[in-house]
Amino acid sequence: MTPLLEGRGLTKLFGRLVAVDHVDLAIEPGEIVGLIGPNGAGKSTLINLITGLDAATDGSLEFAGRDLAGLGPPTIARLGIARTFQVAQPFRNMTVRQNVAVPALFRAFPAADVRTALRDADTLLDAVGLGPKRDLPARALTTPDLRRLELAKALALHPRLMLLDEVMAGLTPAEVDRAMVLLRQVNAEGIALLVIEHVLRAVMGLCRRVIVLHHGRKIAEGSPAQVTQDAAVIEAYLGPRALRSTPLGPAPRNESGRGP
Amino acid sequence: MTPDRLRLRAGARAIALGAVAAAALLLPSLAGTYYIRLATGIYMFGLLAAAWNLIGGYTGYPDFGGAAFLGIGAYATGIMMVRAHTPFPVALTSGCLLAAGVAVLMGSLLLRLRGHYFAIATLGFMLVLQQLAANLEITGGGSGMNLPVARTFTTFYYWMLGALALAIAAGWVLPGLRVGYALAAIRENQDAAQVLGIAPLPYKIIAYAGNAFLFAAAGGIYAYWFTFIDPPTVFNVDFTIQAIVMTLFGGPGTAAGPLVGAVILKSLDTVLTSRSVFLHNVFFGALVCVLVIFAPRGIAEIARAPGGLLQAIRAELRESRL
Repeated sequence: MTPLLEGRGLTKLFGRLVAVDHVDLAIEPGEIVGLIGPNGAGKSTLINLITGLDAATDGSLEFAGRDLAGLGPPTIARLGIARTFQVAQPFRNMTVRQNVAVPALFRAFPAADVRTALRDADTLLDAVGLGPKRDLPARALTTPDLRRLELAKALALHPRLMLLDEVMAGLTPAEVDRAMVLLRQVNAEGIALLVIEHVLRAVMGLCRRVIVLHHGRKIAEGSPAQVTQDAAVIEAYLGPRALRSTPLGPAPRNESGRGP
Repeated sequence: MTPDRLRLRAGARAIALGAVAAAALLLPSLAGTYYIRLATGIYMFGLLAAAWNLIGGYTGYPDFGGAAFLGIGAYATGIMMVRAHTPFPVALTSGCLLAAGVAVLMGSLLLRLRGHYFAIATLGFMLVLQQLAANLEITGGGSGMNLPVARTFTTFYYWMLGALALAIAAGWVLPGLRVGYALAAIRENQDAAQVLGIAPLPYKIIAYAGNAFLFAAAGGIYAYWFTFIDPPTVFNVDFTIQAIVMTLFGGPGTAAGPLVGAVILKSLDTVLTSRSVFLHNVFFGALVCVLVIFAPRGIAEIARAPGGLLQAIRAELRESRL
């Protein structure tokens, strides 16, 4: 099977800082892939490269066999790549319902008029549990609700791939559980997910395959069990001394559900 | 709210709208020349404010060059009527279309800028046109241009009313259209809008061209009304600034806000100017300050906030952490 998304040698320089350094990645249709790494590892920059918000300094990207080089964010979105932002980016003074109607109106397929888009928005808002708040302005939402809204907006694009940038940050353990159920449902519809997450329990529970970035470089890739026992990964997260004393077992340390 | 009460409100609104429309249409046969002129002036500023609202309110781009299009409309109308003896409606329409065309060209450059850069660039563009008009032969240069004199003044009243109705209607239908959703998303968060499939530039150009068309309509009618135009009177930043203040006062991004702002401020302006010109400047300066600090979304927001003015001010204070 050809991958849905394939990046080769992706590199991004900001001045002399190497934010992303020759990263190869492939995501199969319908797969859930985790992307982890310490703060500043280049995870968000990688997502910016894929969605066209930043232009790669070097490397190639193909989505469903199409070269993404030189395409802007709107085109890439309409090809079927949706994303959420690490810091939620709502349209603050529009209602929750209008927020979700926007991507429904501007997706490539299936095309929707305003009435259809609003109806689609209602369906999605019920699915993510925001139905009762549809007529509130987005600025009135709480953090967990804003994350649900981000998710509903991304879904309204009818994407084939969703890039989720820390959708669970700041959620309580119970909310993390609910979010995981929701993401599994999304994935069951055939949408591939790339999940950036500091909540390791969520990454381990959702993903069969995890990519680990450190200082912009891919230092490990494999099953959750493999990467958590990888020497380079333990060193990246806990420092060189940790290697000798505390191996990071497959059971996640981060039980609280909050980011490190 | 129950469907019955909703229907009642819609009914009340339709009746109120009908009454206002009837009053506006009948005014010339009921009132004296002074009031007809006064009303025409208010309509003109309502039109300018509603036009600015398309780009400044709905799209969130602080355009300071609206008078550029007012000038284009005025000069195009004047030149066609004087040199080609074109009938006024044809000259006016051509002027509006020309302004919209110029807006498409300029917009495709200027609308790539954001915030203050856009504001300064549009102001610069307006000043360039003012200099151009002052130095070209076809415009009559610095000594200006005389237009034919119309038979009755009532004509201008109805032209201005028609253009105003068009501008208000544009603001009324816009939020429900696909374009309206795109513009609102761009105003609220352009990056988020882009990753949701919106290519911003074409939509911004549509709003800018609509704004230009309506500013030019005001300019064309103004030129025929005053029968004399010269570069500093029509390429005049004061028109733009008044349109901005009125829109901010009434409520940017709302259909009725600009007209409400124009009616209230122009009426106050008329009363105050007749008392003291100095007082009038103090008042408007202070008003702009209060407005920007306490009610950046205009009195429309205050009217909507439960508990009215005080609560709105308290909410603003909380939000801005003053």
